[in-house]
Amino acid sequence: MFPSRARGLLDFCMAVLCVWTAYHHTPAGALVRKASAWAFSSKSTARPLLAYYDGMTGTSLAAPMLAPEVSLVRPLTDAESLAWGTHLALKGLDARAREPFAALAQELGIPMDRLLDPVEGPVAARRLHAALEADFPREEARLTALFVGRIPARYAQERVVAEGGAPTLESLNRQLPPGFETASVGAAQALALSTAFGLAWPVSESARVTSPFGERHHPVLGMRRMHTGVDLSVPTGTAVSAVAEGVVRRASEDAVNGRVLVLDHGRGVTTAYCHNSELLVRVGERVERGQLIARSGNTGRSTGPHLHYQLELASRPMDPLKFRASVRAVSGDSSR
Amino acid sequence: MPPRPPPAGPSTSTGFVTDVSRLLGAFRWAFMPLGLLALVAVGVHAAADTLDDRLVAVVDRVDAAFDGLVGRYDVTAPMVEWVSLELRTRIARILALTWELAADLVLALPALGYREATAAAVKPAESWRAALEGQEAKPSWRALWQRCLRQPTPMRWLRPLATAAVVVAGACTVAKLMQGTVYLSWRELMGDQVADWGARGLAVGALVGVLATLGWRAVLRNLQHADAACAQERGRRAFTRGLLGCAVVVPLALAAVLDATPLVSFLR
Repeated sequence: MFPSRARGLLDFCMAVLCVWTAYHHTPAGALVRKASAWAFSSKSTARPLLAYYDGMTGTSLAAPMLAPEVSLVRPLTDAESLAWGTHLALKGLDARAREPFAALAQELGIPMDRLLDPVEGPVAARRLHAALEADFPREEARLTALFVGRIPARYAQERVVAEGGAPTLESLNRQLPPGFETASVGAAQALALSTAFGLAWPVSESARVTSPFGERHHPVLGMRRMHTGVDLSVPTGTAVSAVAEGVVRRASEDAVNGRVLVLDHGRGVTTAYCHNSELLVRVGERVERGQLIARSGNTGRSTGPHLHYQLELASRPMDPLKFRASVRAVSGDSSR
Repeated sequence: MPPRPPPAGPSTSTGFVTDVSRLLGAFRWAFMPLGLLALVAVGVHAAADTLDDRLVAVVDRVDAAFDGLVGRYDVTAPMVEWVSLELRTRIARILALTWELAADLVLALPALGYREATAAAVKPAESWRAALEGQEAKPSWRALWQRCLRQPTPMRWLRPLATAAVVVAGACTVAKLMQGTVYLSWRELMGDQVADWGARGLAVGALVGVLATLGWRAVLRNLQHADAACAQERGRRAFTRGLLGCAVVVPLALAAVLDATPLVSFLR
């Protein structure tokens, strides 16, 4: 059926090429790498299996990105949000992954220590962004350039354009050969953080926070539980608006969350709005920043009218107040 | 007049390549099945990678329906909190991984059964060996095509077509990786222009080479496998054979064709 000819060399090269790609680029290859590392008692270089789909699942979020060390004194502009996200994600990288930053910082005469400084770091990161803005006008391409280097980023950008797709961070990362995984995760974290810094507030800025994010004594269950969002005291029927543009990922009702909306803003950022009296958008619908999406209420497991607002970065709940300039006074009553 | 010595240079180099080819040819039984397996696995992953966000949406809808159901009763209401957003995303990724590995089993594993007929096997003088050992000659493209037309079954049609789709997606991924690696490693040595054209040329070469050496073999091997599996069954059972596997691979094949096959991008 398949007569063997003098094509052994070509067949061998192509087979090796395919095995090399599978070894580096597929979860099946990662399984082989992990198995061989286990067999030879060495350390596997394979990423977590689930990270082969979105680049972030299964990878640990670096501690510095949990929140800025310094409180924000005023609302951030888009450029400042990007700089803050970049600074925090950079702090989570190891020394090797910081090399592209170090190279650009050296060109601009910015000491690396300054980039990592909690106060001056965001300002220095903004200078880096400004230096790259002409070559990489889109934020996602610019972050790729900062985290993986200008040359790989330009190459990835040209490949994405050749494929006819939008230069999102995910599509840019897909074009890069093995070796850029850690830097790509850093860029994704920076993008998620900067998006979080730029979010609006779902109700009036003056709404009181009646129960903050974190461990609390649950008012209904009577035990200590993690409160994965913030409770905002608003009367039933208050307009709830989208904190950024996005797509409605969930619009449902259950006994715990009541009438709940989940918005996917892309870039690894999701927000949820629980205990509403009325939902005004449907699953799959695209919403704009500030658009009326629901009316608050007292549905589900709730002891009074309020809005439970939740922010998730890379699918992990984060304290939304850490990304706000003005933190409202927290009431002693956390009974909502 | 003394006889002219034969030209040494070109024939030596041709001889060297032929010798290397012949030497490597002796190991085709090992590297060809592995290459086919890897190519299909790469293509399946390229397709699965485009489906994971859709799976998140499906998991969200299922979870919303589940929450609505268990939330009706006080006893089951706490079950609403079982699945957080983080867990839902993780479930979707796990589903994508499971789907991909299942498709690997269905499409890539048969590649390990790939065998090439040796020259000895087709020699008439050696035909007694095949007869004694009960070996059956593998059917040709033509015989397989005719059986597909006369005795069509989902497995005979869908498995090879799905393999073709993921193989093209796999070849694109290999070419993309080749282009990126070559460009980024050659750029400093040879300059931007040379590295760019070299990388593009090698990417197109890899794309064509992979399809010409491994691609069609992967499709043929799956066709042979599907044909043999269907031939073991009769009537209705032959029709229903492998339906589950087809259901697993067809959506991935569609995703491969629609979202993971940027063939033209290598020429732009």
